[in-house]
Parts: sequence; C-alpha cells; structure tokens
Amino acid sequence: MAIDWSQYRCKGFHDELIADASGEPRPAAQHLVHYLASLSAAELAERRLAAELAIKVMGISFTVYSEGRNVDRSWPFDIIPRTLSKAEWTKTEAGLTQRVQALNHFIQDIYGAQRIVKDGVFPAELLAESVNFRPQCIGMRPRGGVWAHICGSDLVRDLDGTLYVLEDNLRVPSGVSYMVENRQVTKRVFPELFQTGAILPVDDYPAQLYDMLAAMSPRPGDTPSIALLTPGIYNSAYFEHSWLAQQMGIELVEGQDLFVGDDNCVYMRTVYGPKRVDVIYRRVDDLFLDPEAFRPDSILGVPGLMRAWICGKVALVNAPGAGVADDKVVYAFVPKMIKYYLGEEAILPNVPSYLCMDESDRAYVLDHLDQLVVKPANESGGYGMLIGPRATKKERDKFKELIIANPRNYMAQPTLSLSTAPTLTDSGIEPRHLDLRPFILSRGDSTYVTTGGLTRVAMTKGSLVVNSSQGGGAKDTWVVDLETA
Amino acid sequence: MLSRVADNLYWLGRYLARAENTARLVSVHSHLLLDLPRGMTLGWSPLVDILGANRTFEDSYDTYSEANVVRFLITDAENGSSIATSIARAREILRTVRDSTPREAWEHINELHLFLQERGEKHLPRALRQEGLDRVIDSMLLMRGLLSANMNHDVGYHFLQIGLYLEQADMTTRIIDVRTVDLIQSKAGEELRPFAHIQWMSVLRSLMAYQAYRRHEKIRVSGPAVLRFLLQNREFPRSVTFCLNHLSGTLPRLPHNRASERSLDRIRALIQDANFERLLEQGLHEWIDEIQVGIGAVHQSLAQSYFQPQSGAAQSQRQLVFG
Repeated sequence: MAIDWSQYRCKGFHDELIADASGEPRPAAQHLVHYLASLSAAELAERRLAAELAIKVMGISFTVYSEGRNVDRSWPFDIIPRTLSKAEWTKTEAGLTQRVQALNHFIQDIYGAQRIVKDGVFPAELLAESVNFRPQCIGMRPRGGVWAHICGSDLVRDLDGTLYVLEDNLRVPSGVSYMVENRQVTKRVFPELFQTGAILPVDDYPAQLYDMLAAMSPRPGDTPSIALLTPGIYNSAYFEHSWLAQQMGIELVEGQDLFVGDDNCVYMRTVYGPKRVDVIYRRVDDLFLDPEAFRPDSILGVPGLMRAWICGKVALVNAPGAGVADDKVVYAFVPKMIKYYLGEEAILPNVPSYLCMDESDRAYVLDHLDQLVVKPANESGGYGMLIGPRATKKERDKFKELIIANPRNYMAQPTLSLSTAPTLTDSGIEPRHLDLRPFILSRGDSTYVTTGGLTRVAMTKGSLVVNSSQGGGAKDTWVVDLETA
Repeated sequence: MLSRVADNLYWLGRYLARAENTARLVSVHSHLLLDLPRGMTLGWSPLVDILGANRTFEDSYDTYSEANVVRFLITDAENGSSIATSIARAREILRTVRDSTPREAWEHINELHLFLQERGEKHLPRALRQEGLDRVIDSMLLMRGLLSANMNHDVGYHFLQIGLYLEQADMTTRIIDVRTVDLIQSKAGEELRPFAHIQWMSVLRSLMAYQAYRRHEKIRVSGPAVLRFLLQNREFPRSVTFCLNHLSGTLPRLPHNRASERSLDRIRALIQDANFERLLEQGLHEWIDEIQVGIGAVHQSLAQSYFQPQSGAAQSQRQLVFG
C-alpha cells in the first residue's frame, strides 16, 4: 500500500478530499481516494512521470519572463484531482450566475445613468479614482447590455467549509485552456477512473464560448467572422490564445493583421484581400487596444478600433471599460449590487473586506496589519500584496505609509485558512493549499458556468500563492455526480 | 487566410524540406567516405558550400574538419540553416499557427525539437550519427504525411506545399551544383573513373533518387543521364521539374497572381531547353546559378503578392471580400 490515508495530516485546514483525521474521504472523493490507495508507490510515481511526459509532448506550456528573456515552461500539474459534489456545484453555479448578472448591470449603469451612485449605494469618489473607468465608453450599450462576457471568479474555501468569492476577473481572465487540458492529461493517466460516468465533462467550453461570441455579432443572420486578438507569441497566455482559436476554428490575429477602413469596419489582411471581422475576442488589455484612443505607443492594438466599436461595426469581448468592476475595492460592493439590481441576497459570500478609504475600517486595518492581507485595488497575479502574518515589521511599516498616502487604492481581508488537498510531492502525499477559478459566459439572454473550473495549487509547502507566475501549479477539477456513481 | 499565416505556412514547408535534405546530405556524405580508396580524402567543405553558409561557418570554426562541419550542419544554433535551427523555426511557426494546423503536428515537431536540444550533441559522432539523422528524416516524412492526411487542403495547405516544393527545387539544384564541381575536376585523372561513378551515385542517393533512377533509366549511372533525371523527370518528386510542375498546378488555386506564374514559367523553359552533355563540358555552374536566381524571383513574387502586410489604405483600394 502506497498511501495510508490515516497518516495524511491536514489538521487545522479544511481538506477537499479527506474529511477527518482517520483518513475517511468525503463522499465525492470516495472512489478516487480508495483507488489511489490501491496503487503502489512505484505505480504512482509512474503515473506522475507519464503526466509530465504527456504535458511536455502535448506542449502545454506557459511563458514566464525571467532573467531578461521569455522562457516557455511546462505546465506544473499535480495528478491527484480535486473533487466537488454536484450538489455543492449547482448552488455555486447559481451564485456565480447571479454575481455576473449584477456586475453587468453595474457596468452598464456606470457608463449610463449612474443610478447606483445617485441612489447613494455606490460612492461617487470611488468612481472618480478608478483607474479602470474609461470615459470613452460613456453612453455605450453593447449588445444585450453585456460588458463582461467572460468572467473568471476566484473561489476559496475557509476552515468552516464555506466557499467565498475572492475576486472577479473581468478584464482578460486566463486559465480556461488549462482546465480542459488538465482533464485530457488526467484521462491519459487514470483512464480507469472515468468508467463510472460520475465525473462530469468539462470540454464543451470552447463550443459554448463560440456560441456566445457569435451571438454578439453586429450582423446577425450571417455566419459571423470571429477573431481572437492576441498580443503575440511572447505573451504569457499565448498557449491559451492559440488553443482557444484552434478549438473554436476562429482566426488568431495580432494587431498588425487588422485595420479599420474608411467605413469604420474592421478588416483582416488576408491573401484574398481585406475580410471584414464582426466579433473580436480580445486578449489585449484596454490601454493597448487602440493607439488612437488609449496609449499612443501601443503596437499591439489596432488604430481606430474604438471608433469601430463605438459605431457598432464590431463587437469587442470583453467590452472596453468592463474592468471598472474588476477592482478589489469595487469588489466589496458586489453583495450590495446584487441587492440593488436584482433584489436578491447574494448566494455566494464575499470574503469580509475592510476598505481603507473608510475611516473606521482604515483605523482597524492599520492596527491589525499583522493579521490581515492587504491588496492594492488594481494589481493582478498576486503582485503588490502584503500578507500580514508573514511580513516583516519593515514591510508592514512600508504598507502603513502606502495606505495612508492613498487609502482608495487599498483594501484588506482577514487571512483565510485556505483549504488543502492531497498533492503528490517528492516526499509522498502532502496537503497543499488551493483555490478554484470557474469561468462564466454571459450573452444577455443566458449564462453558462464551467463545470468546476481551474484548480490552482500552491506547490510549495505552506504557501498560499497559487499564481502560475509565482510557482503555482494546477489540478484537474472533478464535479462528481453522486447519484450516478 | 491571414497573410501572416500564409507566410508562416510557406516557411514551415521550406524548413521541413530543408531539414530533411540537410539530414540526407550529411548521411550520404558520411557513407561516401567509407567507399573512397585509401589515400584519397574528400573534404567536408562541399556540404557547407551547398548551403552557401561558408562565412557563418568560418566565423565559428578554423577548419572544415568532419567534427566541425557535422556539428555546424546538425546542431549549431548559430547556423541559420542547420537542422536544429530549421526544426526550431518550424516549431516556432507551428506555435504561431497552432490554430490552423493539426495538433499532432505541433506535438511531433516539439518532440523532435526536444530530442535535438537534449540529445543532438550525443548523436554527432559517426557511431550514433546515422541514428540521429534517420530520426530527423523519418520525422520530416511523418510530418508531411500527417499534414497531408489531417489538415484541410485549403489555401493554407497550398502555401505549405508551395514552400515544400520550392525548397526541394532549391536544394536539388544546390546539391547538383556542389557535387558536380568535384566531379568535373576529377574528370581529368583517368584513374579516378570508378570513384566518379560512386560520386554520381551519391548525388542520386543524396536525393533518395538512386532506386527511382534505376527503375526509370534502366542504364548505368552516367553524368548526363543523372542530370536529366534530377532536373527534367516529371515523375520523381525531388526532380526540379516535378517540383516546378507541382507549383504551377497549385498557383491557380490561390488568388490570381500573374507575376509568380511568369517567373515560374521562365525557369521551366530554361530546364526544358537544357543540353546536359554540353553543360557538363562547360557552363553547368553558371546555368544552375541562373535557375537559383529564378527560384529567388518566384519567392519574391509570392512574398509581394501574398505575404507582405500592405497599408490599410492600399488594401481598401483593392476589392473587398466579405463573408
């Protein structure tokens, strides 16, 4: 016997697979846990090697910038899947749908009548200082009132077993290709486990995404021409860009492949001459989209693209300016938005948050820096954060100054005891912290949520940082239908 | 088909053909050495001459020794036409056109790339060289089969094929050019005759043409007959005429482009009218130069018509294509 689950030590955290100290599995993990225990240490090591090989050969990679050059790294993957029960997932799905609906209402409102500000639910000064607010978008109403067509929300589980929403990524969220590829690798490594049919499939995402993109075309009726705009081969998510384009059968374009004609339509340069583009799934940040409207030095974008969008000749997904709701301070207002726009209580809770712009919250934060995680409003990828309990006094003092100088830009949250799952390490199976990023597609009349999502795991012992740019890895995520098991 | 993607697919074809031909050249040359009489040495510099890479070579190496030339041709990253470089570039391209090529093509070239990076150096010495070269050759054939069997034969595929066949025509003429320079020189000494015969066979072998030649010509290997076969034969896929005919057959499937057709017709006429007995006596090298210039002209006209990004203004004056 390779794995003795009673020796697995996950005390002090909620473990996703193992329910208690005796090593008893949770219902959704039962089949998996017993199966793993039936493998010898050598067999397990063999499967791990097979997974590494599969990843290398399949070329599942991400690009990191290090030592002055871009390096293509193999995707760090743990072969032991993370499980969720279908019952829990159904509720989570409803919560995410509700949340994204409210966020889209909010963005439409902010670029329109700003009712939520006038009604005193959302503070005007927050808007005034938002770096992601785009004045160019005022007065726009994209098809179906959808701005955040694709949302990647990060979920974490605390000690009490509750799933909390940690943040909503509305700009250019990435990771969905790895969600699908993780499943491909797991199927190669543990084909035996998929015979019961209880593990719900994840691979219809590209088809769902295609349908959503097609529904956004300004020329309904025709077969729309859709392109994915990538910053290019040196972007860290390039693998995903080409993967998605390939899966959907749409064109993968760079800025240089597109131009805006005198008729304000967008065209691709093809061997047949210019061809009109209806929908652009852009994986380029707002500020690089159009040198005429935003940063004039951008060579990634397309001059005139914003003009084409404003004239309604092309759909941009996500819409420019959608990032106004992707802000760690705005995040704290999402439960209020749900109440305000939908008249409902939030199904999924936010992590309790202290806004440094609020005087009493700020005083609390400054007094409790050693217990809190402090985040800047607009950074992503885990950069620019202070993890209070692990920081030195010097680091905490530095943040104290930063917060006092610019309170709007900071918020703080209690350090959560992130849940763990068994992970294969060089010294056997050990618990590692993880989170979950599901992806939500909105097309106005309907919403689609991925089955599970991308589980990111902090491969280093005790670490809470799951970002792949900082040593994080991933696991396959199983939503298990216990009724068919 | 995006102009940038068409450009990439065209170059993918060229790199695949280049890597395969270079691997064959090294392989045949290594074998040829084994058949030479004692006391006679055949240098390794002709292989560098074939690729026209002497300057790059001399930047890094002092002598045209076997070890140096073999490293230069197989693994040297500084050499823009080494096998490793061709594979690395083909891989880069497949990465950028992953969406329009079958996934297995990427997986396969990625595997070969990793092999060359990690174990290429170990396969340079004679004992393991053939194994490494065979792997490259087999991989290239597998890639061609895989692309042909699994990819839509759409306009992108045609660009890939154009790259493959244009590079093959180019490599075939280069191989003939350099190999025959030695032959012509050795004609003076009568006693070298049997080895001249061996060398003509090696020209054929470099192009996997020996068996095909034998079947087709049914005569002893002779200079003019070999040249006729490699340049004018319509059935052997590495003959220059076969490659050019393939291009002529493919061009009509692309958006209309008179310039490429014209430059292609010019080379075809040149080859059709050639008298190889006379060229072997005199002027073969200059004649091949002329063909090489013609191949360059075909490349230029393709690049101008399809690949080079035009300004938005210039494009909107052309007919717009919707749908």
